[in-house]
Amino acid sequence: MIRMLLFPLFLAGMAAADPGNDILDAHVLPGFDRLEAQTQALSAMADAECDTASAPLRGAFADAVKAWTTVSHLRFGPSEAENRGFALAFWPDNRGMTPKVLMGLILARDQAVSDSTAFAQVSIAARGLYALEYLLFDDRIATAGTAEYRCALIRAIAADGARLAGDMATDWHDRYAALMRSPGPGGTYQSEAEVLQEFFKALRTGLQMTAELRLGRPLGTYDKPRSLRAEMWRSGLSLDLIRASLGSQRELALLLAKEDTDLQMELAAKFDLALETASRIDDPTLVGVANPSGRVRIEALQQRVNEIREAVAKDLGPKLGVSAGFNSLDGD
Amino acid sequence: MTPQTLVASALTLLCAAPALATDRAAVLVTYANIAEAKYQDSLVTSRALQVAINDLISKPSEASLAAAREAWLAARIPYQQTEVYRFGNPIVDDWEGRVNAWPLDEGLIDYVDASYAGPTDDNLYASLNVIATPQFELSGTQVDATSITPTLLSDTLHEADGVDANVAAGYHAIEFLLWGQDLNGNGPGAGNRPWTDYAQGTDCTNGNCDRRAAYLQAATTLLVDDLEWMAAQWARGGAARAAVMADEAAGLIAIVTGMGSLSYGEQAGERMRLGLLLNDPEEEHDCFSDNTHNSHYYDGLGVQNVYLGRYQRLNGDVLAGPSLSDLVAETDPGLDAELRSKLDTTMAALEAIRTAVKGGMAYDQMLARGNAEGEALIMAGVEGLIDQTRSIQRLVPALGLDEISFEGSESLDNPGAVFQ
Repeated sequence: MIRMLLFPLFLAGMAAADPGNDILDAHVLPGFDRLEAQTQALSAMADAECDTASAPLRGAFADAVKAWTTVSHLRFGPSEAENRGFALAFWPDNRGMTPKVLMGLILARDQAVSDSTAFAQVSIAARGLYALEYLLFDDRIATAGTAEYRCALIRAIAADGARLAGDMATDWHDRYAALMRSPGPGGTYQSEAEVLQEFFKALRTGLQMTAELRLGRPLGTYDKPRSLRAEMWRSGLSLDLIRASLGSQRELALLLAKEDTDLQMELAAKFDLALETASRIDDPTLVGVANPSGRVRIEALQQRVNEIREAVAKDLGPKLGVSAGFNSLDGD
Repeated sequence: MTPQTLVASALTLLCAAPALATDRAAVLVTYANIAEAKYQDSLVTSRALQVAINDLISKPSEASLAAAREAWLAARIPYQQTEVYRFGNPIVDDWEGRVNAWPLDEGLIDYVDASYAGPTDDNLYASLNVIATPQFELSGTQVDATSITPTLLSDTLHEADGVDANVAAGYHAIEFLLWGQDLNGNGPGAGNRPWTDYAQGTDCTNGNCDRRAAYLQAATTLLVDDLEWMAAQWARGGAARAAVMADEAAGLIAIVTGMGSLSYGEQAGERMRLGLLLNDPEEEHDCFSDNTHNSHYYDGLGVQNVYLGRYQRLNGDVLAGPSLSDLVAETDPGLDAELRSKLDTTMAALEAIRTAVKGGMAYDQMLARGNAEGEALIMAGVEGLIDQTRSIQRLVPALGLDEISFEGSESLDNPGAVFQ
C-alpha cells in the first residue's frame, strides 16, 4: 500500500535532489582514498618488516583489510575494470584455491615475485589481502619453503595490492566519478535514476554479502555449522569486518535516503540495532556458531541484517524509484 | 486544464495506443513455447545419449565410447540454451541442480589421479569414490551402495553432507564418467578415460567396471527422467507455463531476470571471469570434455533467442512469435536497437572463442597465466555480457515494470530462502 502511494511521486521528488554527488564526495572517494593510503602503508611496512609475527605488520594488515571492507560493496566501475577488485580480494574461496596456489608458488620458488608485471599475471587466488592473510597467519603456509622466499612473496602481494588500490582510487577520481556526475543519453549511465540504481544495488549487494557470506557461510546449518568458512578467521578479523561493513553500508544508506528524514531515521535505527547486536558478540572469529549460546547471538545478528535488507528493498527502493537490477551475487 | 496539458494528454493517448499492438500475454506464450521446445530438444538428445551409453555398456569399445561422447556433446547444445530460464523461474531454479550442478568434486564418484586434493575443509567426502566403495558412512549414517540406483544418486549422494560440490548426478557427472579427469592442466587435451574402464572381466581397467557401468546408467536414467519432468512443466497445463502466464508483469519480470542474472552474475562472473583470473582449468564449465567454448556460446545464444522470440529447433524448424524485443521496440525503439546490437556483439565474442578453439587454442590454454591472447578473447565475452546486462536492466523501467520488481524476489521476501 505504501509502495503504491509513494511510487508515482518519485520523479517529482527526486528530480531536484542529487544524492549521487553526495555519495561520491562523502562515501566513495574518501573510501578509496583510505584504501589507497592503508594498502600503501601496508606495503611500506612489509618492505621494512617481514617477520610474520610482527605486530606492526599485522596491524597494518588489519587496517588495510578494514579499509577494503568499507568499499567492498562498491564492486562496479573502477573495481570491476581490469579485474582490480577481484585481484585485491578473492573471497570466498569455495575450493581452497588460495592455499593451493600459494603453496605452488612457494615450492616452485616462482620468480614472478621479483617483477611486478609478472606478478600481476599470477592467479588471483595468490594475490591480494586474502592470500596475504595465509602468509601471515596460516600455520602451514607461513612456514612453507624458505623464509626468504615467503618474505619476497609477502612484499610482492603487498606492493601489488597497493598498486591495485592506487589504480582504483585514480580511476575513480580521474574518470568514473565524472561519468556518474553527468549521466545522459549514450553514457554508461543514461539518467540520474541509473546512477542511483547503481548505488542502491551496491548497498543491497553489500548487505547481502554481510548476511549470506560473512554470517551465513560460517553459520551453515544447525547440524553442520562451518566456522572455518568465516571471513578472515585466521587473523581474527571476522566480526570486526562485519562491523566495518555495516558501518559503511549505514553511511551509504543514509546518503541514499537523505531526502526523506523519516526513512533515514528508520534505516539508522535498524543499522544501530544491528551494530549493537554485533557489539554484544564476544567472538572475533565466529567460532561460536558451533555452540547453542554462541550461535543464537550470531543468528540474531543475521536476522537484524536481514531486517535492514527488507527495509532497503521495500522502503528505500520505491523511494528512489529504482528496481533491484542485477548484481554479481546473482547466479549460483 | 490548460491547452498544453490537453495536447500532452492526447499525445500520451496516441503513444499509448500502439503499445497495445504487441500483446503482453502473447509474448509470454512465445517465451513458454520456446522453453517447451528447448526442454523437449534436451529430452530428445538425452534419450539419444542413453541409447549410446547402453551401447557402450553392452559393447564396450573405443568406437562406442566415442559415440557416447558425441551424444553427450550434442545433448549440451539445446540444454545450454535453456539456462536463460533458470533464474527467473523458481520451478527451473529449484530443479536445475539435479541436472547441471557444477563444479564438482569428482572423487566422490570414481577414482582420481594422485594429484587430486582429497578431503578438504569444505568437503570431507571429496574422495569417497562410491564406485569402489559399496558400503560407507555418510554424515553419521551407514549407506549400502551395493546396488547403484537412480534413487541412491538423487536421494543419498547428490549434495551429500550438505556440500554443493558433491555432485552425484546430472550432465557433469556423466561427463566425468565418459571422459575422466582432464589431467592436461593448462595444456590442450580433454580427459582421457580408456574405454576399458567399461570392459567387463579381465579387460577391465581401474577396477569395478560393473559398478562404473551401473553408475553411468543410473545417472543417465535420472537425467532423462528429470528432463522429461521439466518439459512437461512447460507444456500446456504445466506448472512452469502456468506460473509465467499467471501475471503479465511478473511474467515479463521473469524473462528479464533470467536474461540478466545469467548474463552477469553467472556467465560473465562465475563461469568466465573467475576461471580466467584463477588461471584454473578446473574452473572450465565443461572441464572434462573441453567443451566449455560451446557451453558459453549456447548460454549466450539462449539469452539472445529468448529476447528475439525465435528459436531454431534441433530438427531445423524455427519457432517464432511475438517477442520481448517487439514489445520494447514499441515503447523505446532506441533501447531495443541498443540491446539487439549488444547481444550481437556478445555472440560475436563468444563465436570468436569457438573459432580460436577450432584453430588450435584450447579453452584451458586461454586460461593460462600470461596468455594475453586467450585473456583478451575471454574478457571480450565478459565485457559483452556485462554491457548487455546494463541494457537488460533498462528494460524494467522501459516496460513500466519497476513497481512489480520490488516484489517476487525470493531473496527479499524471504532472505533465508536463498541459502537453502
